[in-house]
Amino acid sequence: MSSKREKRIKEKVCEIPVFVILLILALLVIVPVIWMTFSAFKPEKEIISWPPTFFPHVLTGQNFVDVQKRINILRYMLNSAIYAGGTTALAVIVNSMAGYAYAFYDFKGKSGLFLLTLATMMVPFQVIMVPLFLVVFKLGMYDSYWGLIIPRVVVAGSIFMMRAAFTGLPKELAEAARIDGLSEFGIFRKIMLPQVKPAIITLTILSVNGSWNDLLWPMIVTSSTEMRTLANGLALFIGQNTIEYGAAFAGALISLLPMFLLYIFGQKYFVEGMASSGLKG
Amino acid sequence: MKAFIKYWNKPSRCAYLFLAPSVILLILFSVIPLAAAFGLSPFDVPITMNTASFVGLANFIEAFHDERFLNSLKVTAVFTLLEVPLQVFGALVIAALLTKNNFRNKLFRAIYFLPVICSATAVGIMWKMILHPNIGFITAVLQTMGLGKINFLNTPGLTIFVVSFISLWRSFGISAIIYVTAIQQVSASLYEAAEMDGAGKIKQFFHITVPSIRPTFWYILMTRFAGALQIFDIIYITTNGGPNYTTESTVTYIYSRAFSSASSMGYASAMSVILFAIIMAVTVFMYRKMNKED
Repeated sequence: MSSKREKRIKEKVCEIPVFVILLILALLVIVPVIWMTFSAFKPEKEIISWPPTFFPHVLTGQNFVDVQKRINILRYMLNSAIYAGGTTALAVIVNSMAGYAYAFYDFKGKSGLFLLTLATMMVPFQVIMVPLFLVVFKLGMYDSYWGLIIPRVVVAGSIFMMRAAFTGLPKELAEAARIDGLSEFGIFRKIMLPQVKPAIITLTILSVNGSWNDLLWPMIVTSSTEMRTLANGLALFIGQNTIEYGAAFAGALISLLPMFLLYIFGQKYFVEGMASSGLKG
Repeated sequence: MKAFIKYWNKPSRCAYLFLAPSVILLILFSVIPLAAAFGLSPFDVPITMNTASFVGLANFIEAFHDERFLNSLKVTAVFTLLEVPLQVFGALVIAALLTKNNFRNKLFRAIYFLPVICSATAVGIMWKMILHPNIGFITAVLQTMGLGKINFLNTPGLTIFVVSFISLWRSFGISAIIYVTAIQQVSASLYEAAEMDGAGKIKQFFHITVPSIRPTFWYILMTRFAGALQIFDIIYITTNGGPNYTTESTVTYIYSRAFSSASSMGYASAMSVILFAIIMAVTVFMYRKMNKED
């Protein structure tokens, strides 16, 4: 009995260094984010004074005005919203239709098409970015919303996720609806799609997050200032050597806020989606 | 029209309609570009794309004599070997400490996961500023600790470590969460039995946790490896390959050769093909190793 108690005490003592390590890691994650958030509200004079402050001495909203003056950040936000919204809306439709077909229908060439989809998962985007740019250019979609959105709609991982969600549904459901005279598309839209709501929410959240944060594709496929997204416009802004620090802080914070909100409301879906499908590379 | 709808409403036929959009898009934007990457590599294509002259294997030969390309492979390898082992083993240890679903662990998990949802642009700007020689908070803290003023993102030899750290900072949360999910699925009776035998927590970790989550370990290792070999975002934002090309990864170099003023699409494609071959070789090698183990 006493050895058991000893062991318990030993475990409790071990808890302390474990907690300290976890806490240090958490601070390492959170402190830079807090510093950047504070800095976005400091006047430029305070930002460039040495040594730098952690808490702002003076609070100002000037940086948010400045960033709009230097780069048209409202336009970039609109572009990011169109890119994320357009890609996600189409992704939900197209990928769930494909997932449904693989889960519910038997047809010629099923395994071949499925294998093709599987194979595209193995092709890294970075490897095909140059010819992909050429394809989009030749299709006349360069520097347009279509060029941004259309090539990013189909994601093999999303098709698999939707297929897995649909596979769990009973086939009798479709049979009953068929007898009631519902068309095949009607069965899909009215009966089946509402049953896989969690999967659709997950797909939506991951797709919005992925395209909102995407840097490489907007860099490649857009050229005019009016077409820049937040991620790509800010990158080009800080890439120039003449830099207003306050504006950069404000811009970065603006780009993060919608994702923070999404994370607060959809943390469960974020974690489950990324953990199960590993969509993010 | 009615007959048309009736024809396509057969379950065996309408499957093709359901699949058509995704298959067309996949062919157009995945299959054709991949084929084109191989197809373009023996050509000389300028960015105007008006001409294409056949140069055979010249692009590949040029690549292996191109100091900057060889350097970029080295940088990518160093980055991968720094980032991936720390990520796959570090995240496993963290996950083992956070398995229980209590409030404290849930809070830590939520914090660690936070950088995963942030864009590389914002994360890059944040670290660029906090490590900045003139305005950086960490730079100042380390200076007061007597370490001198370190220029983290502009010191050859040091900067590649810093970039690897930032990349690790951004993505360890996702690996940790995937491990947590896997560890939670290990049967509790295994741990109870070990407890009865008097095995401590550390012994349990090595004898139960590690063997039980093998498939997850391999999954994370393979995806992280493939991801690290394609590193671009964080480097582009924080250093853009500098100082003096010491952090120029292969994708960063391919990007600059394909889309800058001195553009050569054919040459960039040839380098992409080489990178693809490396990624596939590593993945297949690991896949074989994994299957041998089981």
